[in-house]
Amino acid sequence: MADEALFLLLHNEMVAGVYKSAEQGEVENGRCITKLENMGFRVGQGLIERFTKDTARFKDELDIMKFICKDFWTTVFKKQIDNLRTNHQGIYVLQDNKFRLLTQMSAGKQYLEHASKYLAFTCGLIRGGLSNLGIKSIVTAEVSSMPACKFQVMIQKL
Amino acid sequence: MTVHNLYLFDRNGVCLHYSEWHRKKQAGIPKEEEFKLMYGMLFSIRSFVSKMSPLDMKDGFLAFQTSRYKLHYYETPTGIKVVMNTDLGVGPIRDVLHHIYSALYVELVVKNPLCPLGQTVQSELFRSRLDSYVRSLSFFSARAG
Repeated sequence: MADEALFLLLHNEMVAGVYKSAEQGEVENGRCITKLENMGFRVGQGLIERFTKDTARFKDELDIMKFICKDFWTTVFKKQIDNLRTNHQGIYVLQDNKFRLLTQMSAGKQYLEHASKYLAFTCGLIRGGLSNLGIKSIVTAEVSSMPACKFQVMIQKL
Repeated sequence: MTVHNLYLFDRNGVCLHYSEWHRKKQAGIPKEEEFKLMYGMLFSIRSFVSKMSPLDMKDGFLAFQTSRYKLHYYETPTGIKVVMNTDLGVGPIRDVLHHIYSALYVELVVKNPLCPLGQTVQSELFRSRLDSYVRSLSFFSARAG
C-alpha cells in the first residue's frame, strides 16, 4: 500500500460521502453501513486475488484465517492482528489493539458512537477476501474502547 | 524555565485550540476577545515586518520578548499559526512548534474525520497528547515561575 495517509483520508471521505448522499430519506444507519460494507466486499475480493497469486493452496479454514490475520492484515494495515480466537465451530474473533483507521480518532471513549461507520469497509474487506477463497461468512465488528476493536467472523456452512 | 500558554489559529482567525500551564495574570477580557486580539496583533506584525524589513525577508516574524515573557510564533504554508508564550530563558523553538503542528495537529486533527476543520478542536486525544508533549519538553518545569 503506497502511503497510509492517502488511504486513510480517502476512506474518511468515503464514509462522509456515503452519509451525506444518504441524507435525503435514508436516515437509518443500516443502509449506509451496508453500502460501505459492500464496497469493502468488492475491494476485498480483488485484493485477495492479488495477494494470493503465488501462494500455495490453503490446508484448511484455520490456515485461511491465519493468512488473513498475518499476511493480509500486514499488507493492508502494515501490522498483524494481535489476537485470534476460535471456537473451532466456525466462529473466529480477530482482535486488533491498535486499529490503523481509528488511532487518530480517540484513545478511549470519545467518538465511540461513530466508530462503527469506520469499521464497515474493513468488515467487507474481510468478507470479500474470504469469499474469493471459497468461504461464505458474515463479518461484524465491535469497539469497546478505541483504538482496539474486534472483528467477528461467522462461517456459513453450505 | 517554563511554558505559559499555547494558542493555535487557522488561516481565518478561528482559534482552534488554547491551553495554559502557568499563567499568573489573566488578560482581563473574555477569552473570545483575547483570541481576536492575539490574532489581530499577529496579522499586523507579520505584514509590518515584511514591509519594513531592510533586507530580503527569509522567515519573517519569529518571536518577540518583553521583560517578563517571550512569545514564539510559527506559521505553516497553509496558514495554521502556532503561538507559544514561554519565559525568557528559552531559545528558538521553531522545531518544537513544527512538531506540534506536524505530529499532533496533522496526525490527530486533520486525519480525524470527526474533527471538522475550521472549528475549535474537540478531540480529547489531541488535548491530552499536546499536554503530555509540552510537559515533556526540556524547558518546561512543573514549578510555576
